[in-house]
Amino acid sequence: MFDLAFNNIDEVISMSGHGIYVWSVYIISSSMIIMSFVIAKKRLNGVKRKIKFKNAPS
Amino acid sequence: MISAFIHKFSSPKSFVQITKTLFPFFIFAGLFLLIIGWIWGLLYAPPDAVQGNSYRIIFLHVPAVIFAELIYFFMAICALMHIVWRVKLAAYLIKSAAPIGAMITFIGLFSGSVWGIPTWGTWWQWDARITSTLILFIMYLGILTLHGSFSNLEKSDRLMSILVVIGVVNIPIIKKSVDWWSTLHQPASISVSGGSAIDPSMMYPLLISVIGLGFTLISLGILTSRSYILTREKNKKWVSEYV
Repeated sequence: MFDLAFNNIDEVISMSGHGIYVWSVYIISSSMIIMSFVIAKKRLNGVKRKIKFKNAPS
Repeated sequence: MISAFIHKFSSPKSFVQITKTLFPFFIFAGLFLLIIGWIWGLLYAPPDAVQGNSYRIIFLHVPAVIFAELIYFFMAICALMHIVWRVKLAAYLIKSAAPIGAMITFIGLFSGSVWGIPTWGTWWQWDARITSTLILFIMYLGILTLHGSFSNLEKSDRLMSILVVIGVVNIPIIKKSVDWWSTLHQPASISVSGGSAIDPSMMYPLLISVIGLGFTLISLGILTSRSYILTREKNKKWVSEYV
């Protein structure tokens, strides 16, 4: 169960000709998820900053 | 009594405080399990006897479509709570979960389309499973558009909740589409009631990927809901004290 299914890195990349499908799906989807985290974190920090600014003594 | 219980444990303030504590657990557990599941599935699981290595898309596609449906189901429960008991937090959670649901449904459709090229010879087929999942994606976009269409946010919350409840009828259709109609899409490989068409060497990494993606999406939901709750409640005293 824990034996590598490939013999070398070239086989991992090509995946018997299916690498283009497999890797493109994982790379694009992972990028979307990571971007969502970056946008959500930036938005949360922005909201906190605005509220702090609004409540700051003038 | 139920109403009093729900109102007591559904204050936005409590939610923000509790989820802030839980966030590190969900993000680290989610990413750890997702990476383990994907490395196991992509590098260690054996190739499929029929599909070769193209089946490895399953470790992303199946978790994505599972959560595309589960997030909508969660939104429908929140919508009922908002309609019946007027729980504000429930409406905030629907609005925060909808973009995540849209994104993960898109990933499910995209990964399925790419998987279709080497296995079916086509990236798209108007069969029941794929079309009902596309309708789910359009529902998510429709919910977000509807909520952004009104300046009165309370009215937006209420109409959005009604639309979510109406749209939940699509979830059992997606689930049962492969049984009710003759489709190009294969029937479910894993059943909750027992019995699996997948070998354990492929099923274990798949289950780990499902749990990992679930925790990752919960942590993303915590981030988006916290910023939305703070925006909606910005004039409340507890928000000034919290930030």
